Amino acid sequence: MSADPAPAVKKMFFREAIARAMREEMTRNPRVLILGQDVGAFGGSYREFDGLFAAFGAERVRDTPVAEAATVGIGVGLAAAGFRPLVSITYMDFIMLGFDPLINYGAKLRYKTGGKMTAPIVVKTTAGALGQGVAHSQCLEAWLMSVPGIKVVAPSTPGDAYGLMKTALRADGPVVYIDHKRLFPIPGEVPLEETAIPFGHAIVRRAGSDVTITTHSFMVRVALDAAKKLEENGISCEVIDLRSLAPLDIETVTASVARTGALLTLEEGQATCGVGVEVAAQIQERHAPLRWARVGAQRAPVSSNPVLEAACVPDASRVVQAVRKLLGK
Amino acid sequence: MTRTAMDDAIERLRMMMLIRAFEAALAKRRDHGFQLLSAGEEAVAVGLCSALGPKDQLLTGGRSIGPALARGVDPRRLAAELLGKIDGINRGRAGRGHLSDVNSGFFGAHAVVGGNISIAAGVALAKKMEGDGALVAVLFGDGATGAGALHETLNLAAIWKLPLLFVCNNNRLSVSASRSDMLAPKMLSDLGLSFGLESRTVDGMDLDTVTAAAQSAAETIRAVGGPLFLECVSERFAAHSTTARETRTADELAAIRGCCPIRLQMQRLRAASAIEAAAENALAQEIETRVAEAFAFADASPYPHPEEVLTDVG
Repeated sequence: MSADPAPAVKKMFFREAIARAMREEMTRNPRVLILGQDVGAFGGSYREFDGLFAAFGAERVRDTPVAEAATVGIGVGLAAAGFRPLVSITYMDFIMLGFDPLINYGAKLRYKTGGKMTAPIVVKTTAGALGQGVAHSQCLEAWLMSVPGIKVVAPSTPGDAYGLMKTALRADGPVVYIDHKRLFPIPGEVPLEETAIPFGHAIVRRAGSDVTITTHSFMVRVALDAAKKLEENGISCEVIDLRSLAPLDIETVTASVARTGALLTLEEGQATCGVGVEVAAQIQERHAPLRWARVGAQRAPVSSNPVLEAACVPDASRVVQAVRKLLGK
Repeated sequence: MTRTAMDDAIERLRMMMLIRAFEAALAKRRDHGFQLLSAGEEAVAVGLCSALGPKDQLLTGGRSIGPALARGVDPRRLAAELLGKIDGINRGRAGRGHLSDVNSGFFGAHAVVGGNISIAAGVALAKKMEGDGALVAVLFGDGATGAGALHETLNLAAIWKLPLLFVCNNNRLSVSASRSDMLAPKMLSDLGLSFGLESRTVDGMDLDTVTAAAQSAAETIRAVGGPLFLECVSERFAAHSTTARETRTADELAAIRGCCPIRLQMQRLRAASAIEAAAENALAQEIETRVAEAFAFADASPYPHPEEVLTDVG
């Protein structure tokens, strides 16, 4: 008999990882349901709900008209009344239409009832630039991080997509779950065993000693590409995938920065009032003054024009330049 | 009038009087910011709540005190809530615009105009999926009918046949703006009709009319499903809030207050010999005592400790 253990992981795409998490959680808890545009027989705009309509029916995999505001409102109402809905918003730009119920009601419900009520809704949405223009490309996670009462996660791998979705569907209050169009074609390993990844835990994707790069979602791949190039020039980068933006695992970042002494924050969204600004501010509160630089989208809308889009969002060469400038190398 | 019908009618009169007296006592307080009062609109709250059972839920906009009392929320804990005290139904955190007491069937107020409507549809969908025969009523003002949330929710409630009663308390004023200047539909109930809902407009100043309409609507929802739309045309006797400027003249206000839902009901019960002068006085005395007790309870309750600011955030 072979002594090799059976493989503990399986390669999956993002959509498969999400569908698996949904299927497991919908089986485990009959109060989990999905609402959104094209989520039913169509299987989701990115096929991330494939097979769920056939398995769970139209009551629990519920197509909605083009009405994001009311759909999020119905979601938080369902959540407040004891269900666990996932509301799918096809593009993150459209989450703005649902901000009133999500932020003015869902995020406040636990507080304003003195803990008697909660709104355990997951709003799943897809961010990022992929040729779709100024109102279909934005990364708005920093806006949401500033709202007390909302949890925000943004996985960069199918394994995290699976594990964080499991946690999102069991969480106490509103969760915004953000994936990214450019991550969909990239498969990754997902554990065969049923697992949930707790919120508030960053992960070191690459160990290094000269600079800490914090990032999330698709920009993790950009950071890893940049780190590879910088290694050729003798610069060692530690790349931290934040994964969970609220709550934020500042301890992991602090420990890394304590070793490297320099921080580069990287995000695809706006650098102004961005995720990186928050990370840097929290680090400054815990650590002696340190070298910090930020990389984010240029201060311009993200056009569908391929030249302008590429000029707007960060890429590996911008990260390389920023790290060199930061370190004076 | 049968004995039971008479008792019910007196009970509804008692509740309208309680709302009026409770809000009048609250209006005298200047220690907790502005309040949104509903004098003139008591028949809408009481008539609507007469149609709701213990498993049903009511959601309202910010003008929520009357509906909360009509739903059976304890006046003492309501007063404490409105004054920001920890024995309030929401530990004094929710205040005028965000009261809730689910155990009383008052799912809650939400002071973003129109913001409660889609949430109510979510609660109604939960009730439908649970299949316990309960219904949800959502009470909003005419101001909310200009908001997209209503139109999106009417459509969804209609296609999903939600057990939801849309109730528009049309007092024809949105702070200072008059309904005729702001809203195009001839009747606001036409909005329900355009989505295929059974829709009615009734006199919101007449308790018996509102009661009959609300009970009929609730019966229809329970028997054949919803949603339904009920418009109640009412009068707001005071300004938008206790600190807002009144835009109507003294003469206009006197004319408006000339038609009072409480007085109308009192006259009706007298005419039917359902109530006598002695009983009227006893009723007024009883309500005065209850209101005084409610505010004494609130005054005796402490404010939250500042450290509570970080509890139950999320």
